[in-house]
Amino acid sequence: MSNSSHNDSRFERAANDDAQVLDSHEKALGPQKDDAGNYNLRPLLMLFLLSTFVLFAATYVNRYSGHYSASIYNETALPHTGAEVVVKADPVAAGKKLFNSPGACYSCHQPNGQGIAGVYPPLAGSEWVTGSEERVVRILLHGLKGQVTVSGTSYAGAAAMPAFGTAGYNWTDEKIANVLTYIRQEWGNKGAVITADAVARIRSQAGDRKEWSSTELLQIK
Amino acid sequence: MKNGSLFFLGLFAALGLAWVGIVVSSNAQIGSLAGYYDDTDSTSYPARPSGLAAQGALVYKDLGCASCHTQQVRRPGFGSDQDRGWGERQSVARDYIYQTSVQLGESRIGQDLTNLAGRKPSAPDQDDLLHMLYQGQGAMPSYQFLFETHKIQGEASSEALKLTGKQKPQSGFEIIPTTRAKELVAYLLSLNTTYDYPEAHPVAGAKGEGEK
Amino acid sequence: MTHASTSPSADSADQTPAESTGRYPLLYLLGSSVLWLVVSGVFALITSIQLHTPSFLAECPVLSYGRVRAMAETSFIYGWIGNVGLGLALWILARLSGEKLRGANWVFVGALFWNLAVTVALGGLALGDLTSISMYQLPSYVQPLLFCSYGGIAVAGLLSWTGRRREMMFASQWYAIAALFLFPWLLSIAYVMLECSPVRGVLQAVVGGWYAQGLWTLWIAPLALTAAYYVVPRMSGKVIPAYDSAALGFWTLLVVGGWTGARHLIGGPIPAWISSVAIVMTVTLVFHYIVVFLNLRMALKGGSLSLGFVAIGLICYVAGGFVDALTSMRAYAAITQFTVYEDAQKLLALYGGASMMFFGALYFALPRLKGAAWSSGALIKGQLILSAVGILVTVLSLAAAGLVQGNALADAKVNFSDIAVQMRPYLLVASAGQFIILTSSLLLAVNFLKTVITCCCKSDSSKEGALAS
Repeated sequence: MSNSSHNDSRFERAANDDAQVLDSHEKALGPQKDDAGNYNLRPLLMLFLLSTFVLFAATYVNRYSGHYSASIYNETALPHTGAEVVVKADPVAAGKKLFNSPGACYSCHQPNGQGIAGVYPPLAGSEWVTGSEERVVRILLHGLKGQVTVSGTSYAGAAAMPAFGTAGYNWTDEKIANVLTYIRQEWGNKGAVITADAVARIRSQAGDRKEWSSTELLQIK
Repeated sequence: MKNGSLFFLGLFAALGLAWVGIVVSSNAQIGSLAGYYDDTDSTSYPARPSGLAAQGALVYKDLGCASCHTQQVRRPGFGSDQDRGWGERQSVARDYIYQTSVQLGESRIGQDLTNLAGRKPSAPDQDDLLHMLYQGQGAMPSYQFLFETHKIQGEASSEALKLTGKQKPQSGFEIIPTTRAKELVAYLLSLNTTYDYPEAHPVAGAKGEGEK
Repeated sequence: MTHASTSPSADSADQTPAESTGRYPLLYLLGSSVLWLVVSGVFALITSIQLHTPSFLAECPVLSYGRVRAMAETSFIYGWIGNVGLGLALWILARLSGEKLRGANWVFVGALFWNLAVTVALGGLALGDLTSISMYQLPSYVQPLLFCSYGGIAVAGLLSWTGRRREMMFASQWYAIAALFLFPWLLSIAYVMLECSPVRGVLQAVVGGWYAQGLWTLWIAPLALTAAYYVVPRMSGKVIPAYDSAALGFWTLLVVGGWTGARHLIGGPIPAWISSVAIVMTVTLVFHYIVVFLNLRMALKGGSLSLGFVAIGLICYVAGGFVDALTSMRAYAAITQFTVYEDAQKLLALYGGASMMFFGALYFALPRLKGAAWSSGALIKGQLILSAVGILVTVLSLAAAGLVQGNALADAKVNFSDIAVQMRPYLLVASAGQFIILTSSLLLAVNFLKTVITCCCKSDSSKEGALAS
């Protein structure tokens, strides 16, 4: 700086005044000398740079926006691209919730599926549970009354199994299918999955009726 | 730039576009999220906070707890939020719809509290939290101003903290949590996000990181 | 190109009608800003100590970490930056208009109530009226007051602009007008959407993030650049290089800045697109930082203390922008998010970037406003050195602490309670850094006070003498 020699750090002299700042910068934006050797590439380069940023931005947002869906929290996921298969609920988990919901199955058959000796038969290891789906669905839909033999032990029928079908708690086909699938696969049981369609079929076949007895059920294969 | 009104228009447009693009559009998208009704257990989630917990949320806010604690669990790949047992799934917008003043937080000097009451295998109970507030732990200072020291008159209070060692009050005295402390703890015990929403399920085949 | 030696300043004291009309309101703004700077420095030091020694002042609810942190932030942003940024912007707008400062009385009234509002806000925060939204730690009852008092201050700037002699606008004027005009919108929108009829759930965080990033990109950064773009050509006497790109840089900041709101919500409970947009906008903002660096690089040549401050400010401002872009990428954000690394970034931008530019302009402006030199040159030099060292020490130690914290947090095998132990040595250094920063602020305060008092006593008898020295 040319005048730095008289520049006191306590009052730093400016090198120009306001009008000169305005003048010189107005000129800098005006038409420039366009001599052959004086061509300025920088303005063009800056525009090019900005376009690069914009291009990057557009590509990134296009790829990682999850198509602006409200329910996509993972930016690498896209709605409607194979993701639909995953959203299906797990029948065992849903069934477990139903089994343990207030006043439902667990209150008699116990959370561990062992029942109460002499009164409520166990579900764990029970041939009624893991066996024919025709029978177990009917038990749930309409209930069970009277004597029954489970795993070789006879239960006199002091308590009745209530109906969860239309005549009783009125559970949907899906709820019944879920809770049955759960008890057929929990506590070491290895029964096949029961679908809501199967429940719907049996419901329409059997119609409305009162509780089954075990002898009636054993006639159904 | 010489045209004043055009310049102003530009300024206004710059602000307005960003506002519409970010704030208004996201408000339109998730601003009126409803609870999720689960048919199988006939309940709507998330649960609304109880009155005491809502009071406690105000205590949480006025002590500035959010300057050290977050309330957002990120999905696997973002830190170790879930491995640390802070939650079993990532937090989603629906978790917060009934909170009057959302305290997402920006710092983890302290632990994440999103699912404090739903942690597995063991979540802290009221006693644990009151003791932690009184004694402090690690980077957390003690909040003794949330407690009062009383002279025991007659029978000792059932609410008194059971303290041992140096912090044990002199005999004849007991330390009782104030209403604020009890509200705060009720709030902390209401933080539970164990319910799994469909949108919180990670999508199969997309567990990797977002960056190229 | 204009050069100093060929065309010296018309008046050796560099006085224009702007000074004679705006002297007292502007000095009041600058003076209160320095006071708030010291206050916020004290609060910042307390929080810094509490980070490694949690029991420090813990028995007092008013001084609990959460509240002091909020008070440090509010006194810094609305006390220091608000006052100094507006004071300098008004002064620069008035000078560039070539006219006197119109509405100076309104500025004075506005400034009075603005500072009252900040004081009430601090009292409210001490008693627990926190919002827990970063950069928006304002109790709901001070916002109308802030809004109205701001009007009183800003209207003088707008009058200076509309009444300017020359139709052209210089870069400082763009940035100043943008900042003056946009802040009330930001504040009122946030007030309506967070206090009057609060939006639901996580949207509060989205609005809060939009406000915080808007406050930085549309208010604080433009105010700082107003000062820098004015001081650099005045002191160097040269035309800003690459000035034809300056407008591009300006509009990039304005257009892109408001979209970076969800920058701190990456991986959070908001739909992915909101944070993806914030990420690309933060990266695009790098273009703005490149332009600013090209424009203001003359400051790096130094030659004066004012330019020295601006040079450090420029380096921190640009570095902050690049670091911001890097850590907004999800892979890096996963580590630095929720750690004190973000405090380091904030300090780098707000103190290293914006405040250093303000210091440079403040040292340039005060002697002109007061018509007398600073009381001590050594104190100025002292502040320059101390603040530079303070920034370096604090930013680096906090960044290191943040990386340690982030890596430990990401590894579930590291016990949570061990993380604080691992960070402690770095946090101790950071406290030392905060202490250095506070000392540098005190040097400024002492120098400011001495200058104003001496020159008030001498103003009648020996004004000429003071100028001649």
